[in-house]
Amino acid sequence: MTYFFQLVLSGIVVGSIYALSALGFVLIYKSSRVLNIAHGQLIATGAFITYALTVWLGIPIYISFFISLLITFFLTMSVERIFLRRLIGEPIISVIMVTIGLMSILDGLIYLTPFGSENFSFPLFLPKEPISMAGVSMSWTQLVGVIITFALIGAFSWFFKKSTIGISMRAVSDDQLASMSIGISVPRVFGLAWATAGLSAAAAGGIIGNTTGLNFDTLHAFGITVFPVVILGGLDSILGAVVAGIIMGLIQQFAGGYLDGNWGLNGTGVVLPYIILLIILLFKPHGLFGIHEIERV
Amino acid sequence: MQDCCRFDKDRKQTGKLPLVFWGNTTTKKGGNMKKHKMMFFRILMSFVVVLSFATSIQAGEVYKLALSLAITGPTSDAGNPYAKGVEDYFRFVNDTKLLGEDKIECTIRDDQYNNDVTKRNFEDFLGQGIVLYLNYSTGSTMGLKRDFEEEKIPVIPASFHAGNLIDSNYIFLPIASYSEQIIGLAEYVAKNHKGDKAKVALFIHPSAFGRGPVEDLTKAVKAGLNIEVVEVVEHGQDLDNTAMLKRLKSKGVQYVLCQTVQSPVATMLKDANSIGYAAKSFGEADKITFMGAHYTGGNDLIALAGVAAENFFWTTSYRLTSEKSAGADAQLALAKKYGRDDKAANSHNYTNGIMVAQVATEVIKRVKENGQKVTRSSLYDELNQMNGAKAFEADTTVGPVTYSKTDHAGVDVLQLYRVDGSVFRSVGVPFSSEYIKKIK
Repeated sequence: MTYFFQLVLSGIVVGSIYALSALGFVLIYKSSRVLNIAHGQLIATGAFITYALTVWLGIPIYISFFISLLITFFLTMSVERIFLRRLIGEPIISVIMVTIGLMSILDGLIYLTPFGSENFSFPLFLPKEPISMAGVSMSWTQLVGVIITFALIGAFSWFFKKSTIGISMRAVSDDQLASMSIGISVPRVFGLAWATAGLSAAAAGGIIGNTTGLNFDTLHAFGITVFPVVILGGLDSILGAVVAGIIMGLIQQFAGGYLDGNWGLNGTGVVLPYIILLIILLFKPHGLFGIHEIERV
Repeated sequence: MQDCCRFDKDRKQTGKLPLVFWGNTTTKKGGNMKKHKMMFFRILMSFVVVLSFATSIQAGEVYKLALSLAITGPTSDAGNPYAKGVEDYFRFVNDTKLLGEDKIECTIRDDQYNNDVTKRNFEDFLGQGIVLYLNYSTGSTMGLKRDFEEEKIPVIPASFHAGNLIDSNYIFLPIASYSEQIIGLAEYVAKNHKGDKAKVALFIHPSAFGRGPVEDLTKAVKAGLNIEVVEVVEHGQDLDNTAMLKRLKSKGVQYVLCQTVQSPVATMLKDANSIGYAAKSFGEADKITFMGAHYTGGNDLIALAGVAAENFFWTTSYRLTSEKSAGADAQLALAKKYGRDDKAANSHNYTNGIMVAQVATEVIKRVKENGQKVTRSSLYDELNQMNGAKAFEADTTVGPVTYSKTDHAGVDVLQLYRVDGSVFRSVGVPFSSEYIKKIK
């Protein structure tokens, strides 16, 4: 039974990190209907900024983590202002193509820094010994990661449900023209959506970087790894990202724990999330919590 | 002599045509002034020709080599220092005139780990007239194997995949293959494990690069190697390996042999530490000892895994700068001479790059000493004779580089290292795999 509970715990830990990584996709899609292909690069950028502040400038990691969130917030806001704002009103595919270009630019810029081709790890700032209870254990890094993830997800949920700006963002997501007619600044909302997505990506980067070490390939690959989570949860649902993230985390752990290595199976933890995604999408094409839009003509 | 003849021929040609041309001009109106000008011009031109001949004699030959690799993109953490090693050593050869007045011109291009780009680069290099090619990845080496055969060009890749040598005559691995490294580690386990037959799992990259040693290790076990391979795990982009580690533990696995790159190994080591599975010494009871082949280890692993890398066992044929040796001193001096930072200077992939450049330089030197012209063919023949008394002692490796018609794996000796205090330290003396010979 310990084995089972360990897998559940690990699944929740991994799933919550997936959820936080997926949040950036959701925030942008929710307000602008755009899929940001450069999300993995934003995750990596956040992690590298935290590292640079911590190690190169000697700022305590607790502070540098929050500074990196702020830097990435303003960085992505600027990216939206410079590259994407002029595309408001253009076909969505054009905007997605620009995010592909953005991905290449960020790749190129990161390759100009030591982070592009060197490996780093955050200095140890939490106890090295794991937390163990009844034979089930997790590291302090994982625990802190889960706490930060749920705190941020809670904050974003409140923000979208209760705050004026959050409600404006949801309104823009529903109908841009109607939102403008009641005085909401659509460009400002888009800017904020990108900024908050950048912030969540930086948080995810910091947590993943602490878990795996800082390797650019590993970090930016998460932009793709969490894609099934985003689709499964429904592209525009924060709750969906959380639930789907944890489902995916649990599937991976159970597949790894019970299927792999038996009956000649291997790598099911990688494949199974996609198979389950396909099956769920057959019955719920908009994902578990995605909004099903009905258009009348 | 050949060059001299070529010059004579050229001189006759350059002498002949202009004389006819100039002869015609003198018959035109314009008289002596123009004739004097022409005479001056002819003298000047002759002077230029003689001067350029003299310069070319003094400049010597230029041997063109090329390297295509991932300086950016996936695996650039290995490719970047590797490229610096190759570049610095060839600069050193030219600056210190190791080949006399002759020079090596090695074009290094980034292919971002993209096989299409590697192929394009290689075709371009052929057009430039290269005599030896340094390749990088397993995928591109396998993909270009037929091209190497057709072009009859000797190739030294950074991939140590044993499959590179199958149906190939022109590929020369710098050191022992991944198969030999993994079997060597398994032999070490068999010899030093206390208790019943050691239970081993393989943790591999999901590619030809990772899968290469699996079949060879299975053959070695069939040939009598006293271990049990319980499971082969192909990893993905895993954030957490707890499930896998729990599963392996439940099957009684005591050793995990890794054939992949550093990042997934680092994540696994961190997870093993967080659930208390990592052995603190070799073969510690009820724990798992982690070991790996060349590209799993080095300072990059320590950089990624931090303290979780402690007690990781690693094998390679290269000497490390963490231990005093003539090769390590020379490597650090080279890095200093060309302004490399500490990270590059101490990277085992910088050593890797230096070593292949050393082999290339040595074989060119030997061909020259034989009085032969440096061509693809002469370099190929000379590489095949690099054995016995003609084995090449590169200070950067723990054993001599040997090649023959039937053996295209360079250094056949491996050294086991272990992370101790965040530094890789030697364990025992260099060894070679017994079973790799038995399964050939």
